[in-house]
Amino acid sequence: MSECSLSRRALLAGAAATPLLGGTARAEDEQMVIATWGGDYANLLRANVDEPLVAPLHIKVVQDLGDEDPRVAKMYAQRRLPRGADDVVCVQAVRAYELEASGLLEKLDATKVPNMAHVVPNLRTDFYAPHIYSPQVIIYNPDKIKEPPKTFSDLLDPKYKGRVGVGDVNYFYIMMAAALATSGDVTKVDTADAKALAMKLNANGLRLYPSTDSIGAGIKSGEIDVGIMWMARVVMWQNAGIPVKAAFQTEGSVLYMSGMVVPKNAPNKPAAYKYLNAMLEAPAQRAFAEKMGYLPTVDNSPLSGKISDQLAMPQPAPKLFMPDYSIVGKLQTDTSEWWKKNMQRS
Amino acid sequence: MDAAGERRQGAAAATFLAPATLVVMVMLMAPLLLLLRFSLNRYDRTELMIETVTGANYLRFFSDPFYIGVMRTTLAVAALSTLLCLLLGLPLAYRLARMQSRWKTACMLGIVLPLFIGSTVRMVGWMILFAHGGVIDAVARWFNGRGMEVMYTSFAVIAGIVSINLPFVVLTIQSTIETIDTRLEEAAGSLGAPPARMFWRIVWPLALPGTATAGILCFILAMNAYATPYLLGGPRFQMMAPLLYWEFSTNNNWPFASALALLLMTTTLLMTACANWIIPARYRA
Repeated sequence: MSECSLSRRALLAGAAATPLLGGTARAEDEQMVIATWGGDYANLLRANVDEPLVAPLHIKVVQDLGDEDPRVAKMYAQRRLPRGADDVVCVQAVRAYELEASGLLEKLDATKVPNMAHVVPNLRTDFYAPHIYSPQVIIYNPDKIKEPPKTFSDLLDPKYKGRVGVGDVNYFYIMMAAALATSGDVTKVDTADAKALAMKLNANGLRLYPSTDSIGAGIKSGEIDVGIMWMARVVMWQNAGIPVKAAFQTEGSVLYMSGMVVPKNAPNKPAAYKYLNAMLEAPAQRAFAEKMGYLPTVDNSPLSGKISDQLAMPQPAPKLFMPDYSIVGKLQTDTSEWWKKNMQRS
Repeated sequence: MDAAGERRQGAAAATFLAPATLVVMVMLMAPLLLLLRFSLNRYDRTELMIETVTGANYLRFFSDPFYIGVMRTTLAVAALSTLLCLLLGLPLAYRLARMQSRWKTACMLGIVLPLFIGSTVRMVGWMILFAHGGVIDAVARWFNGRGMEVMYTSFAVIAGIVSINLPFVVLTIQSTIETIDTRLEEAAGSLGAPPARMFWRIVWPLALPGTATAGILCFILAMNAYATPYLLGGPRFQMMAPLLYWEFSTNNNWPFASALALLLMTTTLLMTACANWIIPARYRA
């Protein structure tokens, strides 16, 4: 018995060292930070990318949750630092182009992201990994509107006075829709015609909502009957029991897209590349379609069941426009200024 | 105490106070100086900020009627909210201060309790109340058949700001009235002064310093309100704090946002100084 006995000092030393053993094991897992939106988006990333696909690669993912604007502002603020705070940053396509123009983004090495080969060709760029996308459509309450509007200009009908709502945060996409309706070119947001059309809509009692979700609440409460929104939101709201349907404009629909970028000063770029590849895996893409109604950006993730019906394109196929963000990205600041002084103020 | 003792005591007090004062000064002044420096820079879409010394951002504010209009709206909302808070808060504070009942603690708790809930959460409560199909709209619809739009109006914003600031006003004035000797009011009453005259000639002058402090506090909070105008006023109701955040975050125009922040702060300080100046010197705290 005496050989087995431990002195009190040895026991305490052993107990003190125990966490270090665990720590050594955990230290094998490297860490990366993804700056992303919170809510459903973050939860779906965690459940379908972080845990099932990235964790087995011995990468611990830390989510830095917040809105896009502060996220982008942080990237600008950290641009001179040799090591930034985030490895992967989630942004809308237009912000990605803006960041690229500012020289803040790492050029993506496609050999390190094999799934990039499956990305739909017209969504592909060399600095942005597209994650989800959705066409912007006219939404309406089928209980109130029997004959849905077919064009942006139809929303000017006096019968819709005070019954149309859009998200103030989506101002740039609304202006792109106005540009498409007036010139057939989504990049012509700064033309007098596009601005005049937007102002006419405003004069018809357009309701501006501070957030995207409040548009759904507006339809549900009967405050509005018509709006402009992504198709994905229609699916989410339908699943939540809100009476809403989508109608594709005859002039075409602008495609909303969001994805992920790697800052030039990302501290763990190898992990960032692995993350981008995991995010493009077919099961992860399908999960976002099923839960949030966004279309997969890869060609090897076919949809089936209810979501396939909900996201099915009408026949004849609608015209879909992916904006040339290298052009419209430069117009964002001026458009924002114009919107603030004219659409918000009147 | 002799002069040497007083000096020693003064030195000891200074030694103890210096670290805290230094920390406060650094924490307060450093961001302000940084803001001032940023406000003199030039915005560039790709570079974010180009270091220079220019007054262009200030010139832009003063030469554009849009920004002057937003400042005017902010001042009007802050002034109206302060006036309403004082009108509602003064009688409430007086009644609370003179209350002898065992319910006084419960009443005080009723005033303080809303402060335990974050202002944004309270605003969400107001949103539910004001929304289309909400309680107010439903009641109005029952009466007039058309309902009543309260959400995204100036009324909603002012009601929201008053609800947030009122507890601060009541507590500040109540603590001042508590210090006024009740025998003065009794003396005025015994000399034949009716209650209104007694309040105006005795309580009001003595409570003026506390009332002014409450008004200034309310005004400063209202001038800098962000969540209330954003959530209850909607995108069309523009006040300075949401506007400067838009410039900072959506436009990434840090130099102009810094200039707006400093202009908002300077205007608030000037108005506060004016309020202090118009109070007769003999009533100042």
